[in-house]
Amino acid sequence: MTQSGTATARTGAQSLHAVLRVVGWTGLGLIAVAVALSDFLASAPADATGIGPLLAAPSAAFHFGTDILGRDMLSETLHGLSATVRSALPATLVTLVAGALFGFVAARLPRALASPLRGFIGILAAVPALLLAVLVIGLTSRGLAGVAAGLAAAPFAFVRAFGRAREQERATHSEYARATGISAATLLRRDLVYEFTDTILPAAARALAAVSIVLSTVSFLGFGAVPPHRDLGLMIAASKLYFLHAWWTAAFPALALTVLILFARLAAGLGEGERA
Amino acid sequence: MLRFVSREAGRLALGLLGAALLAAAISALAMPHAGDGVFAFLVAWGRTLNDFVHLDFGHSSISGETAMAELAAHLPLTLGLVAEGFAVALIVGIPVGLLFGAGPARRAAAPLIQIVSAAPIFCAGLALAFVSANLLHWPVPVDNGVKTGLALWPHSVTGFETLLLPVLTVGLAGAAAAQLALRRAGSELAGEPWRVQLRRMGLSNWEIEGVYGMPRIFAGLLSSLGEVILALFSAAAVAEWVFNYAGAADLFVKSVALHDWAIAAPVLLSFAGLTLIADFIGRCAAHPMADPGTPP
Repeated sequence: MTQSGTATARTGAQSLHAVLRVVGWTGLGLIAVAVALSDFLASAPADATGIGPLLAAPSAAFHFGTDILGRDMLSETLHGLSATVRSALPATLVTLVAGALFGFVAARLPRALASPLRGFIGILAAVPALLLAVLVIGLTSRGLAGVAAGLAAAPFAFVRAFGRAREQERATHSEYARATGISAATLLRRDLVYEFTDTILPAAARALAAVSIVLSTVSFLGFGAVPPHRDLGLMIAASKLYFLHAWWTAAFPALALTVLILFARLAAGLGEGERA
Repeated sequence: MLRFVSREAGRLALGLLGAALLAAAISALAMPHAGDGVFAFLVAWGRTLNDFVHLDFGHSSISGETAMAELAAHLPLTLGLVAEGFAVALIVGIPVGLLFGAGPARRAAAPLIQIVSAAPIFCAGLALAFVSANLLHWPVPVDNGVKTGLALWPHSVTGFETLLLPVLTVGLAGAAAAQLALRRAGSELAGEPWRVQLRRMGLSNWEIEGVYGMPRIFAGLLSSLGEVILALFSAAAVAEWVFNYAGAADLFVKSVALHDWAIAAPVLLSFAGLTLIADFIGRCAAHPMADPGTPP
């Protein structure tokens, strides 16, 4: 391929990424509207049983069907999505602060402090995030599942931010800054401002994707949402006994969860298969 | 090379030590009076560490069995699942990573891979179970609520069908990690100037890719071995729950739920230790293949 051909292909890929990011943020915006208006959009209140016949398949009356207790699956999916997003937002904040921000700052600490810290977080990153979240919930309470999911997703964000900060420390602008007598604290402050101005939104979307996976999985395992406040993970777990014969009881909550994670991944600009 | 391996071995030793300290801190919670304050906890932690040094990981407060016995009963199942999932990950992940790593094939497959990547593992496991039960009429142990063992070397068609679903669930998660590592290495190499130079020297694309490109791409996969193993363990934790198998991850979840910390700690230590060891092996194996100073 010629140089101009390579440049054209690169420009095309960048435009596609930009479009996908817009699609991701638009999707997240629509989900935010659905979550904010879930009580109005849903035809039945959360956990209202006996709304229709038991395990009715999707129809004109019940677009997503009903579950084993006669709950309207469309309403339940909306309420479940709302519960998942409401838990995921504080978890995202925890991941951003304890992972991305702390990792960036830790990389600029004196080496005697930064290296052991990086080593310790590396050990936490060697444990599956799901098991880490389960452990934190076990040590605290199910009410803190959001914080636990945020903390469980934080080691990976920490390691990534630590690496970026180290790269920036070796960059030309840092060498010039040090040579002109700018203090390490001032350089860190400036790098932090630029880093977060440039990456806060993709980092937040990435953290949202990561914590949504962890949160829904811990709920699926029975460590997250407490009934009757059901999130999507708990709804899917509840359908495990009969979804082989009533697919809609698991399919729609799973679809809603996948769409949420997909939009977050697109908004973050993640590549295909890239870990959130 | 020796210096690199020594440095990595040092990192591994520190990592394992840290993991042991963390596991001992969790296990110390099972000691009487460990929750009576910071000093009491530190004393319990010290005692637990001493026990760990003597390979005594304590007793389950639920079953009364030693932690080693519980681990010996459950860990092989998880390791078997991970090993068989690893084989699937390589069989699926390597061709996908190489075929869809660049060009029109990547653009065509990108939307599908993006959607599949967005599905949590438990959703993927349930979807596999649904397809197997309803289309292939295979036995699917998801809805009986009974924890069972798993024949890792099945002797019948039914045993094979029962085994295939969790192995596929774990393997596909590993395949995603493997293809990502390959694609990452491939895209890093794509802009290397030596490709153009070698072409000018008269080498064909096959020679350039086969002799110079592939070893470096596979070095990328090897150096991400820790990530692949972590993805496999994460998936095994979910697959055991979805398909009702009594493996180590299932044991961990139950132990945490019942606050049986003497059991939860060694399971966590095993997972972290195995991931760190895989990372070490992968880095050491990749080093001679990726080192620009070494002829491929």
